[in-house]
Amino acid sequence: MRHFVAVGIWVIVLAVLTYAGINASGLATQMNPVVASTQAVSIDSLWHGEMVVLSFLFALIVAPITYSLVVFRRRKGETGEGVHFEGNTSLEIGWTVAPLVLVVVFAYWGAYSLGETRRVDPNALVINVKAQQFTWTFEYPEYGIISKELHLPVNQQVVLKMQSADVIHSFWVPEFRVKQDVVPGRVTEYRITPSLVGDYKVRCSELCGTSHAYMESPVIVNEIADYDAWIAEQKVIAEEAGKTPEGQGQLLTVKNGCVGCHSIDGTPLTGPTWLNLYGAEVELTDGTTVLADDAYIAQSILEPNAAVVKDYPSPSLMPVFALTDEDIANITAYIKTLK
Amino acid sequence: MSHTQDKSSALGQGVVVFVYLAILSVLEYFVAVAFDATSILIVVAVVKAALVMYYFMHIYKLNEESDGDEHSYAYKTGTNRIGLWLFLLSDGFVFAGLLVMRSNLLGLTRPPLNQLLGLGVTSVLLISSFFMNRGETALAYGDVKAFMRNTMITFILGLGFLLGVVLVEWRLAAHEGLIASFGNPAVGPVGAVFYMMTGMHAFHVLTGLIFLAVVWNNARKGLYTAEKHYPAEAAAVYWHFVDLVWIFFYPALYLIGKAIAI
Amino acid sequence: MKRFSSSALAHGLLWQLIGTLFGAGLITGIRAIMGLELTAKFFFTEPAWVLGGFIGAISFLFGSGVTSDWVKWARGIDTPEHHEEHYSGWEKFVNVSLDHKVIGIQYTIVALALICIGGTFAMIFRTELAASQLQFLTTDLNLFGQNGPQIYNTLMSLHGMIMIVSILLGISGIINYVVPLLLGAQDMAFPRLNAFSFWIAVPAAVLLLSSLVLGGFDTGWTGYPPLSSRAPVGVQMFFMGVFVAGWSSILGSLNVIVTVLRMRAKGMNAMRMPIFVWAAIATSIIAMTATQFIGLAFQLVLFQRLLGMGFFDPAKGGNPVLFQHLFWFYSHPAVYVFILPGLGVISELLPVFVRKPLFGYRWIAMSSLGIALVGFVVWAHHMFTSGMNEYLRVPFMYSTLLVAIPTGVKFFSWVATIWQGKITTPTPMLFVLGGIIVFLLGGLSGPPNATVSTDLHLHDTYFIVGHFHDTIFGGFVFPFFAALYYWFPKATGRRMNETLGKIHFWLMTPSFLIMTFGMMYVGLLGMRRRIVDYDPALGLDTSHLVLTICGFGIAISVAIFLYNFFNSIKNGEKAEGNLWNSRSPEWQVPSPMPMHNYDQPFEVVGEPYDYGLEGSQYVKFSSAPAKSKHK
Ligand code: HEA
Ligand code: HEA
Ligand code: HEC
Ligand code: CUA
Ligand SMILES: [Cu+2]
Repeated sequence: MRHFVAVGIWVIVLAVLTYAGINASGLATQMNPVVASTQAVSIDSLWHGEMVVLSFLFALIVAPITYSLVVFRRRKGETGEGVHFEGNTSLEIGWTVAPLVLVVVFAYWGAYSLGETRRVDPNALVINVKAQQFTWTFEYPEYGIISKELHLPVNQQVVLKMQSADVIHSFWVPEFRVKQDVVPGRVTEYRITPSLVGDYKVRCSELCGTSHAYMESPVIVNEIADYDAWIAEQKVIAEEAGKTPEGQGQLLTVKNGCVGCHSIDGTPLTGPTWLNLYGAEVELTDGTTVLADDAYIAQSILEPNAAVVKDYPSPSLMPVFALTDEDIANITAYIKTLK
Repeated sequence: MSHTQDKSSALGQGVVVFVYLAILSVLEYFVAVAFDATSILIVVAVVKAALVMYYFMHIYKLNEESDGDEHSYAYKTGTNRIGLWLFLLSDGFVFAGLLVMRSNLLGLTRPPLNQLLGLGVTSVLLISSFFMNRGETALAYGDVKAFMRNTMITFILGLGFLLGVVLVEWRLAAHEGLIASFGNPAVGPVGAVFYMMTGMHAFHVLTGLIFLAVVWNNARKGLYTAEKHYPAEAAAVYWHFVDLVWIFFYPALYLIGKAIAI
Repeated sequence: MKRFSSSALAHGLLWQLIGTLFGAGLITGIRAIMGLELTAKFFFTEPAWVLGGFIGAISFLFGSGVTSDWVKWARGIDTPEHHEEHYSGWEKFVNVSLDHKVIGIQYTIVALALICIGGTFAMIFRTELAASQLQFLTTDLNLFGQNGPQIYNTLMSLHGMIMIVSILLGISGIINYVVPLLLGAQDMAFPRLNAFSFWIAVPAAVLLLSSLVLGGFDTGWTGYPPLSSRAPVGVQMFFMGVFVAGWSSILGSLNVIVTVLRMRAKGMNAMRMPIFVWAAIATSIIAMTATQFIGLAFQLVLFQRLLGMGFFDPAKGGNPVLFQHLFWFYSHPAVYVFILPGLGVISELLPVFVRKPLFGYRWIAMSSLGIALVGFVVWAHHMFTSGMNEYLRVPFMYSTLLVAIPTGVKFFSWVATIWQGKITTPTPMLFVLGGIIVFLLGGLSGPPNATVSTDLHLHDTYFIVGHFHDTIFGGFVFPFFAALYYWFPKATGRRMNETLGKIHFWLMTPSFLIMTFGMMYVGLLGMRRRIVDYDPALGLDTSHLVLTICGFGIAISVAIFLYNFFNSIKNGEKAEGNLWNSRSPEWQVPSPMPMHNYDQPFEVVGEPYDYGLEGSQYVKFSSAPAKSKHK
């Protein structure tokens, strides 16, 4: 009996210590990154509940083991065996049923919390998302805006309709908690209500190839007024750009995700930079050089494998883009401006 | 029940079971052609499978007490039987996986195949199972000659099935547009599913044929007697297993659902 | 050297090479006739590599001679019932042997070798991860036709799969060595099949490793299409390696089940079998059936690549999510394949070291079956974010959480076993205790993954990586080491050095605990899995540095273990008696175990774990000569 009381106290102490330890590392009351969506609130409260229960369960097993190791260890010179008892059916039933109850509670809680994260607001703002190796492109269909950054108004539910051009990607903003795969051949939905103004990042969390690590894009949650201002500004830019070929070309490079692999400022990404490309002599893997003219650029887009730039893996990492001649001409016009 | 009968009633039982199976197959065919009744087709397939497992594959033998010496032939045969059945169970999961794939990709549609031809190849396989059973029964009563004769017939029918599927059916399917051309199944899921399922089954038929050839040859060498012929039994059980798989694949490919137009 | 070059292993490898070249050449020849391209980036074209790899694996088997008895049977030639050993010393282990003890050791050695290879890969990529930005796996690097980040992906994927194969071989090793001894059998039910199951794993490992030089594969061990249908040829080698290793697992498990059903000593009814046997059965049931699904899934991608069949290609009407279902239908139950034998080892060893009966034998035995069976219906918990049918998520959450119940039964029963024992802590017991605690941490990190909404955050982060290293180490690695320390004297007649064993434990355990806790920590903070580089803005550099250092701590402890292991074979302290004072039958006879196991058959006359019960006996050896009777 003495042992049971002692170990009971030790279980409670250890449970408290465990929870306190988790809490001290900042992982108990929330899943650490700041809470930036209403969905995150219900997820974090489930997490917190789990941490409490799991700390207790951890102590429930570890405390009696450590206690036994100290109290019941075989002392020097001691012989003889342990106490002979083979089992106890009511105990066994007890520790089958008690976890069963816990499981039901957990599952109920989980289902409830899932329901919370899926709650639909019929007035949600729709944004189309296109994922491809290794960029995100966001399209605001109401305004005809295409952007590399995702701007969201605070406290307004948005639903992202996501499509993938190649392999599976996954849309995850840690501060929002929720994650959803983007699967080629179907449209998946991501519903979120941002609740905290700030700059975050969407981080692709499904392995999608060599540069999976770098498939991150800014997600900016604005006050409504700032958001509206951004929309207005983008609308103007889009309209202006649409008037010139190079402007259209720039829009196309964003829309098709070219800029995910090609920088315009000289930084090397997955693909070579476009800075000073037009008119330069390009060295190819087969040792030849070629002049970067209209034909070469068109060929690079339509048949990336036909001529692979030196130091880049062959077959080319660049997907084939079946663009029209007009689009290609516009893109070329845009690349020409990058000096 | 049945392992204490005499030879002629054992052979007679084979005939009766075969007749039942044939009737069920024809029934199945007409059900499928006349109306759209997936659940009936599944029930019929399960009944056929049960008949084959019990009467042709003698699943009850797993339960046979073979007490006595661990080194006796009877005891080892019992062990081998369990081993073989576990193998078949494991292998069955491959085919189950293929059926899952089929239902996921095609749902209640089916490839546009010639249903009569399907019935034809199915009958060939069923008849081969009948002869296999006759051969095995004969061997159990020590009639090696009859075993060899029936195994040979089984072999020929099996080969006929294999060639029928690979040379006739695969070619026809290519013409139906399931694939771009023979040898290049680079088209949508219908062709992929059809070629994968029939291909995997055909591969098992091929291994079954090799197995049959081996036991036939060993029977010729006089290695089998009424008491000691486990390899022959195993070959027979394996052959019936291949048939069993087809009992499910046949409706899955030829009968269930609406034919897709390509 | 000469004796090695004439061994089955050397012959097999040589034939594998020849077979590969032959197969590849054959396809290349056919392509020449058809006027297709003959060479590609990795010399042969992809179809040529695939057929080559396949024929190579088959050639290995024929070349090593493991199939020769079967070939004889097929030709109607009888072979002797008992295969006598032709070799002694190390040569036994590089030649075909039908003795389950030799095969068990062969499995174990290969498993250890693979752990070292997989672990070395982990150390390479952990070093890369020690700080943000690319350290040495940079984009200008070009190794085996891959740049740095690609090499990272290949190493990471290979680390995962090689480790998993090494677990499969490791558990086969323990099961093979121990189960017939525990049952009082002379060997496994099908000794030739047993040898075959082992030898087929060798070409499988070669195939897997060859993917490294054939362009690698950047898909993770899960190999999801469409990424895997676009990866370099290496991915085909990976698929075939797993497929072939799968057959090893399937056939080995089949053998175990039949052995348990048919080869028990007299009087050993179901509830008197040593508890490890129950674990082996439960594991084998899963491995024998579910493995076919991963084989099929990988085969389908293989064909999709070779022939353009659009199973998983949405552009052709296929369904990428179908692959995930097929894959996880195996790969979830597989995680219970990894742990059940380990938990069996824990249950088997605990009573010995606490000198008390195993608490609730029946419940523990049934919980193994319970875990195995419930494990079949939980697979979609890996796919909560995959875009599968939404309504499926809730039932899969329920079924997943249910696994906690039988697992809990084990834990509580262990605690009750330890309670009021007379506990000693030699090295095997330390690893048993370490295993319990580490597995508890891993198990308890399961429910947060299982409740869907929290998994939306946790999925594909280092939290998951922490979760499964905990479960795998607790459920396999720790018990595996416990088993090695415990049964080593049985196999060699010598024991491993205690001091080195304790150093191994006390270096590995804290390093490991810090490492996995750190993994979970960075995961919660936003560290994704499978990335070569992380955003410095996350502020995780210090944590990752600690992780890497702890990883090296583990590696050093394993190196100490390896030294101890190989050194003790020759130089260990002699230990021929019942070293651990166990009741188990194998310890009632002197070590090392004789060639055909027990010279005299034994009969089971009592309960296996009646420690502390005066005058009780588990097995009684009859004085009759060795011709054990069934039942
Ligand atoms: C040895 C291997 C092993 C084991 C035993 C487990 C055990 C469990 N695993 Fe784990 N798991 C993996 C290996 C393993 N897992 C791997 C390798 C992956 C990643 C694969 C990949 O993507 O690469 C993974 C991923 C994984 C996921 C997917 C995560 C994701 O990718 O989003 C989930 C989700 O549900 C999960 C859940 C569980 C649960 C609930 C258990 C349960 O079985 C745990 C049960 C045990 C306990 C709960 C502790 C003891 C019980 C008690 C003390 C009783 C009382 C307790 C309660 C009532 C809660 N695991
Ligand atoms: C048995 C299973 C097992 C084991 C033991 C380990 C052991 C280790 N693993 Fe793990 N790991 C997995 C299974 C395992 N792993 C799986 C399945 C994945 C998922 C892969 C995927 O996402 O697809 C994974 C992924 C994984 C990741 C995530 C990678 C990513 O997502 O990008 C990391 C990162 O830190 C990691 C680290 C480690 C470390 C540091 C060890 C250390 O414990 C290793 C310690 C080192 C050794 C044990 C080797 C000892 C070496 C010597 C002694 C030298 C002698 C050498 C020779 C003779 C050649 N592993
Ligand atoms: C997945 C990454 C990726 C995307 C997306 C991508 N490219 Fe590329 N691109 C590359 C790589 C890698 C190369 C270098 C290898 C080669 O020449 O194929 C390249 C080369 C090029 C070149 C030749 C550059 C030179 O320096 O010679 C042009 C022009 C080009 N891409 C245009 C485009 C356009 C236009 C788009 C979008 C419509 C695009 N790329 C999208 C990866 C990409
Ligand atoms: Cu996109 Cu990872
Ligand atoms: Cu799982």
